[in-house]
Amino acid sequence: MSRLEAKKPSFCKSEPLTSERVRATLCVLKGILTSSYGPSGRLKQLHNGLGGCVCTTSQSSALLANLSVTHPILKILTTSMQNHVSCFSDCGLFTAILCCNLIENDQRIGLMPTTVIKLNKHLLSLCTSYLQSEFCGCRILVDFSSTQTLLCLVRSIVTSKPACMLTRQEIDHISALILRAFLLTIPENTKDCLLLGKSIIVPLKGQRVTDSTVLPGILLEISEVQLMKILPIKKSDTFKVALFCASLSGDLSDTGEGTVVVSSGVSLENAVLDQLLNLGGQLVSDHIDLVICQKVVHPSLKQFLSMHRIIAIDRVGAALMEPLSKVTGTQPIGSLGSISPSSYGSVKDLCTEKFGFKHFLHLIPNEATICSLLLCNRNDTAWDELKLTCQTALHVLQLTIKEPSVLLGGGCTETHLAAYIRHKICNEPESILQDDGCTQTELQLLTEAFCSALESVAGSLEHDGGEILTDMKYGHFWSAQPESPSVVDWPDLLSRCGCGLYTSQEELRWSFLKSTRHPFAPQTCLPHEAVGSANNLTLDCFTAKLSGLQVAVETANLILDLSYIIEDKN
Amino acid sequence: MKPAARDREGQGFAHPSCIPRLRRRRPEATRLLRPMAAAGSAKVALRVAEVLETIVSCCVGPEGRQVLCTKPTGEVLISRDGGCLLEALHLEHPIARMLVACVSSHLRKTGDGAKTFIIFLCHLLRGLHAVTDKEQDSLISKNIQTHRRHWKNCCQWKFISQALLKFQTQVLDYIMGHYLSKHFLSIFSSSTKERTLCRSSLELLLEAYFCGRVGRNNQKFISQLMCDYFFKCMACESGCEEVFELVDDYFIELNVGVTGLPVSDSRIIAGLVLHRDFSVYCPADGDIRIVIVTETIQPPFSTSGSEFILNSEAQFRTSQFWIMERTKAIMKHLQSQNVKLLLSSVKQPDLVIYYAGLNGISVVECLSSEEVSLIQRVVGLSPFVLPHTSSRYETCNTALMNFCKPLILRSKRYVHLGLIGTCSFIPHCIVLCAPVQGLVEQHKSALHGAFKMLRQLFKDLDLNYMIQASDQNYASSPLTYKNSRESMPLPEIVNGSMQSPYQGTVVENKGKLATTQTYLKVYSNFVVPSVELETHIPRSIPKVTPTDTYQTDETLRYLSLARIVDDSEPFMESNSANSTTENTRIEISCENLQVTEIAGRGSMLAVREKSLEMCTSRGYCFSSIPAGCVLPVGGNFEFLLHYYLLNYAKKCRQSEETMVSVIIANALLGIPQILYKSKKGNCSFPQIYVRTLHAIQTHQPMVSSQTGLESVASKYQLLTSVLQCLTKILTIDLVINIKRQPQEVYDQDSEEEV
Repeated sequence: MSRLEAKKPSFCKSEPLTSERVRATLCVLKGILTSSYGPSGRLKQLHNGLGGCVCTTSQSSALLANLSVTHPILKILTTSMQNHVSCFSDCGLFTAILCCNLIENDQRIGLMPTTVIKLNKHLLSLCTSYLQSEFCGCRILVDFSSTQTLLCLVRSIVTSKPACMLTRQEIDHISALILRAFLLTIPENTKDCLLLGKSIIVPLKGQRVTDSTVLPGILLEISEVQLMKILPIKKSDTFKVALFCASLSGDLSDTGEGTVVVSSGVSLENAVLDQLLNLGGQLVSDHIDLVICQKVVHPSLKQFLSMHRIIAIDRVGAALMEPLSKVTGTQPIGSLGSISPSSYGSVKDLCTEKFGFKHFLHLIPNEATICSLLLCNRNDTAWDELKLTCQTALHVLQLTIKEPSVLLGGGCTETHLAAYIRHKICNEPESILQDDGCTQTELQLLTEAFCSALESVAGSLEHDGGEILTDMKYGHFWSAQPESPSVVDWPDLLSRCGCGLYTSQEELRWSFLKSTRHPFAPQTCLPHEAVGSANNLTLDCFTAKLSGLQVAVETANLILDLSYIIEDKN
Repeated sequence: MKPAARDREGQGFAHPSCIPRLRRRRPEATRLLRPMAAAGSAKVALRVAEVLETIVSCCVGPEGRQVLCTKPTGEVLISRDGGCLLEALHLEHPIARMLVACVSSHLRKTGDGAKTFIIFLCHLLRGLHAVTDKEQDSLISKNIQTHRRHWKNCCQWKFISQALLKFQTQVLDYIMGHYLSKHFLSIFSSSTKERTLCRSSLELLLEAYFCGRVGRNNQKFISQLMCDYFFKCMACESGCEEVFELVDDYFIELNVGVTGLPVSDSRIIAGLVLHRDFSVYCPADGDIRIVIVTETIQPPFSTSGSEFILNSEAQFRTSQFWIMERTKAIMKHLQSQNVKLLLSSVKQPDLVIYYAGLNGISVVECLSSEEVSLIQRVVGLSPFVLPHTSSRYETCNTALMNFCKPLILRSKRYVHLGLIGTCSFIPHCIVLCAPVQGLVEQHKSALHGAFKMLRQLFKDLDLNYMIQASDQNYASSPLTYKNSRESMPLPEIVNGSMQSPYQGTVVENKGKLATTQTYLKVYSNFVVPSVELETHIPRSIPKVTPTDTYQTDETLRYLSLARIVDDSEPFMESNSANSTTENTRIEISCENLQVTEIAGRGSMLAVREKSLEMCTSRGYCFSSIPAGCVLPVGGNFEFLLHYYLLNYAKKCRQSEETMVSVIIANALLGIPQILYKSKKGNCSFPQIYVRTLHAIQTHQPMVSSQTGLESVASKYQLLTSVLQCLTKILTIDLVINIKRQPQEVYDQDSEEEV
């Protein structure tokens, strides 16, 4: 009772966005995010004074998860981005930077929030319908007959994570591995619905990156002592496997709510052990070669099994149970009594292997969609970053299977989209003006704010002080070396646009991204041959980017709509 | 506060435990003791209400903005819900806390109107303040002695609160029933006894509701989603109340929140989604049956309260063997019943899961009791009782299902069941997507509130006013009507300003007499199919015929009939030479004419129902607001009530009653004032006000710049709640601050005997 404490009244602030402090903190956050963006982004070292390891990263997921923000508005922003990242893995920084830019720009023009929100929503729907349309000039349909596009996509993702510390050669190796791992998870013959398998990432730190490899099936790590016990495996066509989810440690199962009275002289332990050994006998008579248990196996049973040349692996954990049951094609056994023969599984081959200093038991399936990606990197932080990158890439590939298109990367989508929106609003503003009741000026101001927010996301890719330009035909993104003379022959200075689709040798006109220019219609309908011939394109995941764009605008709208903050400080 | 009170009173209020007693005393007594604070509480309440009003008014109406609330746990909530904001503020001031308590008790009843509550209360207090200030000034000139002045002042408050109470219990209902009811529209689109819900008017209603609840860019989307959801869930028209009830009760189980996706990805999926994964999943097609269990299938060693004595190891082994065999047998039995899914409210042992997997039965464990009861209600399935004898199994209780499969939303797995509803609810789930959890919560609570509101709307609301006060007027109405048939068409019941419009229309109609009929016909074809029109004619005949015969009958039914004829009076009069059948024809068409006029402005269906509903509703809902009564948004209710209250005040005899009516009438305008605050030019508040009042006077349909409908019943309940809260505030004269642990309040019990 004495713990009862009166609640303190909350703090209530009006018009939170106008406060100088909020603007300053937003600006700092934006600075952190923009400087980490892209392949040449700067790394951040996150260092928690209360413990934990130091994390060197430039990825949004690691960055946002470790940053601790206190202001409610920033909290909204960062949780929104984190939620996006946990859904799509990719495009987190893009979303966060775009959101910050939008808030900043819309604040600067100082229109009524009502109008801003309404118009932002309209502009967003213009963007999404353009990106999804047939004639979109920055979307490529994925051709699944070759791995070219998918490999480009994976390589773009790996390249954009500088904290992995990979060389060009290593990037190529890792990208190929990721793609192979993904392809191994696709089932050979499917009926109506495609159910993808799983790639298990197995850590192997301290090795060279090029030692990484992909193996079908599952790698179970075993200690050297265990390895000694495993006798040379006899050759056979298939190996019978029993997979247990019930504990084989001989502990008594739940005895119910009442009391159990044991007379003296009765040893339940012996009774249970007898039961276990009976089970062992059954396994032997059923010609099992491998026993895997999620929990602990009693040493006596282990001994018994090894005497009968059965390999017993215990404590594999709950996470591996599902892939294991897929690889062996069986249901985990939950009974210590009679086991129906139908619940045994099998693998095609079984062998012990050594990678680096670790020993593994390799289960090779007959036909399964599980593979193991053995991932190596020099040190812990770089390995963590590489693991995140691989997960991102694998997830992006899954998303691409679902929605088979990709967007041009390297900032080209952003500048192209901005050019398209500018042109569209300039030429046909009626559709928006009609149903919203806002003025032409308001619309133009807001379009400018929206487009420049998009463009400055692209601009954030350049960190070395180079010039950023856009061409007046395709609306793509170009960046030039820093400190070039002001009036130059652009075609000589520029080589390729951000995504690598066009070269400067075409007859193009350029303009600085920051400068004002006449709205022009960027060329829509990507020519098919151009895409086919170009290799080494920089590509982005379509689903993630589209959703990122929507989430960024929605979050910005939400933050702009806030009129009060009530902070409960209890 | 405490010592000060003691000094002033000198009556031994030394012990703070007398506070409960003090509060329980009758107001007069306390007021005599403590005149100083009486005026204070109203003033303080006004100050408090004004602060709250500034916060709340930014969230009102379609232009309202959002408020961000943080919780001590670190959660961030986005809200426009008045109740939620008031809770989040953790107000300290006692009057403010009382206010919040009043608001939340109102919300519990209706689920809507917290913001309007505060605004209305604030305006009422402001009005009272202005009135009493004026009177005080006049008092000062007359009376110098301060004590007496305060005493007088007190009496003033007492009178006011009594007048308020009287107003709320007598006048308000009367005005609602007699004047406002003829403006009501209905959400049902049928004239017959079988009510059918009109989709477009439901859409209008929901849109207006969500305008006040969710962010501006999501209003349309969410209201559309809700509308779709409702119509998908409803098996038949008659069962809509059951649907509301079920969805309201089990709302949490019927939606899934997904963060990180844009709001536009929200959707409705058929079937039921359980917020957990399968323990074991076996794909199954065809005839899928489910069974629910509430206990572990594997029999335990011992049950509670019993003792299991183990005498030998062999006994242990046999009992384990028996348990296993029995589990196996039960699962086999379930399989033989074609059961493909086992839903369990408890965690099942590994053994059960294993045997379920072997028998091709999917298992979902750890269902919450709400989920279990929802499934029970939807499919009408009772839990499977485990047979106690091992040999015999009866056919167990199973239900058929369309499908059962895992559903993956944002890499989280759910169980998706295609249940076949046996009641009027077809199970569907809403997947709510938003970038942040706070927004998901906002949409969830808005949707839940909308279902609460609809549930309220579908109930009749009784108005209990005393008829004798107005009996005189109404008793004479048939008579006057009879007279009016012979002479001028204007009965005296319509008082003051009401008179002129009637006369106006009559004159006009006389002029148009020749053209009226054809004119009406054109319009009636336009709106209502002629077939429908035909069917209505015979129904109206008996209604009109008695008007010729009744003389002094004073039952409600006849009163209402008189009113019907009343309304169509201008036309009746103009056609008095015609036969009865023709009269009825015109009566109907006249209603329809009104329809078309309004229909031109876009809310065609909503008003069309009016014409049809009015015919029937007047017959029986005389002293109640019938279910489904709505009014257009944009302050229509407030304007109407304002107008009729002012009229009422004009003919009031008692000064308090007049004053209270005027104050309330003016305070009502506060809400439209805020709604039209940002509008300029033709839509500014004064313009709208003048136009609307003119429209009411001339019996034209009211202008409204916004489309949408709102429930009359909830408005009415809000009004009564605010008035009750106000009387509460006025009757408190002193707030005593106690700086002690709250457990001292237990002294209360002993206090009873004193």
